[in-house]
Amino acid sequence: MAPKNKKQKEIVQDERLQAIVLTDSYETKFMPLTSVEPRCLLPLCNVPLIEYTLEFLAKAGVDEVYLMCCSHADKVQTYIDGSKWNQAGSPFKINTIMSLESRSVGDAMRDLDNRGLITGDFLLVSGDVVTNIQFDEVLSAHRQRRLIDKDHIVTMVLTQASPLHRTRSQSVPSTFILDKKTDRCLYYQDIPSINGLKASISVDPDLLEDVDEFVIRNDLIDCHVDICSPLVPVIFQENFDYQYLRRDFVRGTLSSDLLKKTIYAYITNEDYAARVESWQTYDAISQDILERWCYPIAPDSNLLEDQSYTYESKHIYKEKDIRLSQSCKIGSCVVIGSNSFIGDASQVENSVIGRNCQIGTNVIIKNSYIWDNSIIKDNCQIEHSIVASNSVINQNVKLNSGSVIGFNVVIGDNVIVAENTRIVERPVKHLSDSSYIGDSLSSDDEFYQDIQAKRAAEEKENIVEVDEGAVNDPAIVGENGIGFAYDSESEYGDYDDDEVSSSSKHYHGLVYKLDELYLSDTSIVSSMPNRRKKRRTYSSASHATATDAEHDYNNNTDGEEDDEEDFNKEAIATVERAMENNHDLDTALLELNTLRMSMNVTYHDVRLATCTALLQRIEHFINTQTLGVKDSVHKIFGKWGQLFKRQVFEDEEQVDLLNILESLCSKLPNNNGPTIFTLALNDLYDNDILDEVNILKWWNQEGYAGKDENTRKVASKWIEWLAEAEEESDGSAEE
Amino acid sequence: MSSQHKDKADINVHIDSVVNKLKRRQISGSYTVAIETCQLLMRVISASRWNHPDQLIDIIAQVGKKLVQAQPREFSSGNIVRRVLSLIRDEMNDDNDVNNGNGGNNNNNNNSNYINNSVNNENQAMISSMFALLTTNENKKNTVSNQQNLQQQKSQVSSASAQLKKNTHTQDFRSIIIQGIKELIDEISSISENIETMSVDLIHDNEVLLTPTPGSKTVFNFLAKARLKRKFTVLVTECFPNETEEAHKFAKKLAAHKIDTVVIPDSTVFAVMSRVGKVIVGARSVFANGGCVTSSGVAAVCECAKEYKTPVFVVAGLYKLSPLYPFDRDSLVEVGNSGKVMEWEDSQLVGNCEVTNPLFDYVVPENIDIYITNVGGFSPSFIYRIVLDNYKAEDVNLE
Repeated sequence: MAPKNKKQKEIVQDERLQAIVLTDSYETKFMPLTSVEPRCLLPLCNVPLIEYTLEFLAKAGVDEVYLMCCSHADKVQTYIDGSKWNQAGSPFKINTIMSLESRSVGDAMRDLDNRGLITGDFLLVSGDVVTNIQFDEVLSAHRQRRLIDKDHIVTMVLTQASPLHRTRSQSVPSTFILDKKTDRCLYYQDIPSINGLKASISVDPDLLEDVDEFVIRNDLIDCHVDICSPLVPVIFQENFDYQYLRRDFVRGTLSSDLLKKTIYAYITNEDYAARVESWQTYDAISQDILERWCYPIAPDSNLLEDQSYTYESKHIYKEKDIRLSQSCKIGSCVVIGSNSFIGDASQVENSVIGRNCQIGTNVIIKNSYIWDNSIIKDNCQIEHSIVASNSVINQNVKLNSGSVIGFNVVIGDNVIVAENTRIVERPVKHLSDSSYIGDSLSSDDEFYQDIQAKRAAEEKENIVEVDEGAVNDPAIVGENGIGFAYDSESEYGDYDDDEVSSSSKHYHGLVYKLDELYLSDTSIVSSMPNRRKKRRTYSSASHATATDAEHDYNNNTDGEEDDEEDFNKEAIATVERAMENNHDLDTALLELNTLRMSMNVTYHDVRLATCTALLQRIEHFINTQTLGVKDSVHKIFGKWGQLFKRQVFEDEEQVDLLNILESLCSKLPNNNGPTIFTLALNDLYDNDILDEVNILKWWNQEGYAGKDENTRKVASKWIEWLAEAEEESDGSAEE
Repeated sequence: MSSQHKDKADINVHIDSVVNKLKRRQISGSYTVAIETCQLLMRVISASRWNHPDQLIDIIAQVGKKLVQAQPREFSSGNIVRRVLSLIRDEMNDDNDVNNGNGGNNNNNNNSNYINNSVNNENQAMISSMFALLTTNENKKNTVSNQQNLQQQKSQVSSASAQLKKNTHTQDFRSIIIQGIKELIDEISSISENIETMSVDLIHDNEVLLTPTPGSKTVFNFLAKARLKRKFTVLVTECFPNETEEAHKFAKKLAAHKIDTVVIPDSTVFAVMSRVGKVIVGARSVFANGGCVTSSGVAAVCECAKEYKTPVFVVAGLYKLSPLYPFDRDSLVEVGNSGKVMEWEDSQLVGNCEVTNPLFDYVVPENIDIYITNVGGFSPSFIYRIVLDNYKAEDVNLE
């Protein structure tokens, strides 16, 4: 209620504070569990995720809450209808909005704009926020800034952490550039990751033009709690290509010259705010809650009406009616739900156990999350794993780190589940080529079945276990088990073009690996030496301030090496694609050029990549015996050699091209190299890409290390011919 | 009937919203919780329908249970509920006496008799009158009843009232109880005044006092009042990590009242104790055995005081007195935000070490010399008597 009486004089606005909750993340990080339950109803410390968000909103004094539902919208609706928030005593009015069509945050915002619900400044949160933040302070800070800066449209709440903090998202690590004095956000970027390695950020110096001092921060947790002005949905509407709140909207708004709107950050270092956006953060936030970093949000605050948790020292939370055997050991940070039983000599630590769970004798459970109604039989070992509701783990099973056991799965006796295995009750179908990136495969069951039937034929090729529940996967779940391995790789196949998703493979669902990641720097050094270097740069940069843009450039050069590697791959792929699909020459050039500019590399790299691609193609022709050496070279260089026209401008660059070509050809197998080189040389000369003068210059240059004797031998004849031809032409010119 | 239903729905909504606010700690601190509880109970009593006081007792007990569960370590809500229940029971007995014509001595009974005891045992009556000597309360009328007596009367009452069905009587009863709660609110809000009056007698000139509970308003008022006639020095412990800011504010406020104030680190308490004349502690809740729960760190201060035989005074309003016994220490001590102890940003430590931040401490009765309440000063061993005076045994358990 507090915000109501703050600064009402100056701001003539609707007094009601509205909140929009995005219950869907439009991502697939919690697959396969989200194919059964909506993500916001997955239990975190035995409480559905959405409860934490709604609790925060209640504390914040929000008057109206709109839940934007997409996948499993019906389940969310049913849950809310039956919850305390829908009863008369609820502190706010709650409405669910079925936005089934939306496929991204952007879509949801556009839908919101179409419905015209927003009347004033509103709070935009995702349905997975866990926080104890003092919201009235944030709101008054927002309103005060609003008075000073009329163009202020968004305040983002960020929490101070450290770059390697366990609760910080490692899959979408974000960097903010802020004005040091005012906390105005100048630039935002997810650090582009290449194969899981952090790279660089690049900033347009124009953005920093009239800024005194700025900070680059890579140590903030972005919990997606934003106070937005009503303009925000409108901007989404105008920019129909905006998908993501941060990557598209924030960046777009900040770099737009026309819009001239400002975004501020509110950085808190006393309160707790984080977002459950991946298994990694699920694990970390669970532990944070148990260790009471988020007090008063803790299991013993009993967010659900029927809960009865009490606190005991060493952060142990027990509900009523639990049965613990006399010889079982309960370590620190444990939650046990009612009617659960733990057998003799079992050990539990840093774990959450749901209601009605049966845990046998001699079981070891560490850092794991056992959801309601699960049965774990004798002598099992479970570490860093998640066991979803109603599943059965039979005797002597070992779940290795990172396992996710889906709903209703049965694991047979003596099975050892390998690391990072995800098991589901029924095979999950991928609508692989659809652009759908929601949490679940389909929000509509009928639709789902329909698609299933249609695709049954195709899918038989792709997924082996297609038959519904008839044949299980004994290799994974044991002889009497029920369940299939969930193939996460195919999921990522969908987003090859999406840097972040593909890189997140390294972080994805691997509770254990992440654990390693955040527990020690050394493990990072041993596994990915490159990363540490980058991290260092950034953690130091995060506190460094610079007075001008120059400093910024210095930072950039650090990342260049990584850029080049990445550029090479991308560029080669581009050229290959162009040749395969017989693209327009201009299109290919445009693509290459864009790539060059976005990665900030030199023409040398472009040439290198193009040559590599062309030679690979030729080699492919020769190896498959489609064409002879001569024909293939002529075909490729005759047409695609033209690419160099716009990659080679100066004389030195022609020499450089030849050097590249020579060194690449010398590495070709089958001794075709020299021949290919000479033929290519001829074609390039014919196409006026190379001048005689420069070819001769290259030929005669001394001290070049890349000289290859074989190549030179074969090429010498052609050079001789060239030299003669030149003399002739010289002679004829004199005449 | 529909309006009745509406009333009932309204009151349930109100109860739920108070319970939720308690859960979210939007209502916190024993004073605020006590006042809120009183106001909620007033609304409940005026809105709910009942034919017999027994039903009302059930209703109140149910509400009380909810309130206690919402903040299990804040005892003042439970205390207030029990006080109100005891008020109702007293009133029932009086009615009985009137109805049955055997309680003539209570006819002009005044509503403030909730402070007084209802016992008929000779010895107890004697203690009770001794107690009355100590109190500032003028009203010395004793109601006559005991457990057995009460049981008999209960059965009589149920039959009698079933026959009589006096609507006007119910209405009277209702207004009497509400009047009683209003007086209870007055009592709670004027607690400092009563305690303050004793301060001059307890504090001497040029004395050095130490207080480890800077958050307590009662302690502040106590000291401020004493300053009017005495000149003394107050040492304030810093109370890291939970109350450090409050300690500094407290010291400033004391200084503004021209009291010599010194803020000392928690670690130096033992070193300065030899020069301290009295330790003044503000209690969060006081238990029937004479122990009390206060801010964390106070137990250590009291141990130090015991070592040097320094007297420890605990100041507390009567509403903080709980009829419960502290059997399970875990259930008394709230554990707060770990982030106060250590920076959460520190990724090297978070998750690799165990952090616990208890907000309260339990102080054993042996380490406390005297309780100063709004009804007088008592030794810890006498607290159980005051509990008996103010609460009924059947209300201790709110089931």
